[in-house]
Amino acid sequence: MVPVKKNMDILYHSGTLLILLGLPFFLSGTVGLIRFPDIYTRLHALTKADNVGLGFVVSGLALQSGSWAVTAKLLLIWLLVLIASSASCHLIARSAMQKNIQPWTRQ
Amino acid sequence: MSWMHTLFALILLPAIIVGLFRILRGPTAADRMVTAQLFGTCGVAILLLLSTGMGNPVLLDIALVFALLAALTTMTFIRRTWHGSGKKKHGYSIP
Amino acid sequence: MINFNRRFFLRILFFSSVWFILTGVDTTSWMVGVPAVLIASGLSLTLAPPSQYRISLVGVCCFMPFFLRQSFHGGIDVMRRALSSRQLLDPGLVSYTTFLPEGSARIFFANTISLLPGTLSAELHGNSVTIHTLDRGLPIWANIQGLEYHVAALMRISPVKRKNL
Repeated sequence: MVPVKKNMDILYHSGTLLILLGLPFFLSGTVGLIRFPDIYTRLHALTKADNVGLGFVVSGLALQSGSWAVTAKLLLIWLLVLIASSASCHLIARSAMQKNIQPWTRQ
Repeated sequence: MSWMHTLFALILLPAIIVGLFRILRGPTAADRMVTAQLFGTCGVAILLLLSTGMGNPVLLDIALVFALLAALTTMTFIRRTWHGSGKKKHGYSIP
Repeated sequence: MINFNRRFFLRILFFSSVWFILTGVDTTSWMVGVPAVLIASGLSLTLAPPSQYRISLVGVCCFMPFFLRQSFHGGIDVMRRALSSRQLLDPGLVSYTTFLPEGSARIFFANTISLLPGTLSAELHGNSVTIHTLDRGLPIWANIQGLEYHVAALMRISPVKRKNL
């Protein structure tokens, strides 16, 4: 049974690695939200960084779970967040345009 | 169960707390709403990590509901609160 | 009619798998699940009638790696700009005219733009998409055209139509 356990260990550790890779994306998304100059650029920061971060966390947890049911549910959650955040990102940007909020430009 | 996953979740917590600063500053309602979106994605990630960390699969379902509600909140906000009523004239266009 | 039955069957299959993912292997849950799946399939056919475009499996297989790679680049790009000590932003607005037909293809296209590096769809007006970009120096056109062709392949839309526009 030793080879099986070793295999599980490799899966577990690569899952940990993936989660660790995902965390900086979340943190930089928040940094962008604070630092970027206007609503449009803040939307960029949040939508892209957080979705990539969540993708890493989800795939890491899926590797560690070792169960197809949990993996499927994790992927469903990621897909849902992906659709939801890209749609709400577009909605907020469109409303901001219609409200005549000028994008920040470099002088 | 697993302290490591709880630690990861704790690392994500400051990402949300710092985001609160944007709610304070604004300046527009939409900027504040973007933070609500941050709560959605970050909150889901924290719940997923805690689900493994505490060995409680029910948290996965809570994350699912969280993801659904985050989208609904933004849409309701855009339709009802910020956008006002009805269709407005096409605003800012490319110079 | 045969076509319609096939659509209905596909939706039932889709909602059943969602129910299965949500509830797991608990067989008693199907007492609620079967009516829920049937009602959801019927409702979805009424609210979102089947379009003339069918999703191609080959297109999905080409789209997934493209999408994952591009959104990863997008995340890295944002991270670099957020964490750099210098101000690396040079935002601007671009207008893009798409050949994708009205409906789900165009909406899918507009939503996916927001996950590409440095672009965000700010407005969808007819066949023109207004795109906000983080950096006007980025190869936005190449990226968006790549995405457009991938979406066209996904929905089995012939990209030759571009010449007529």
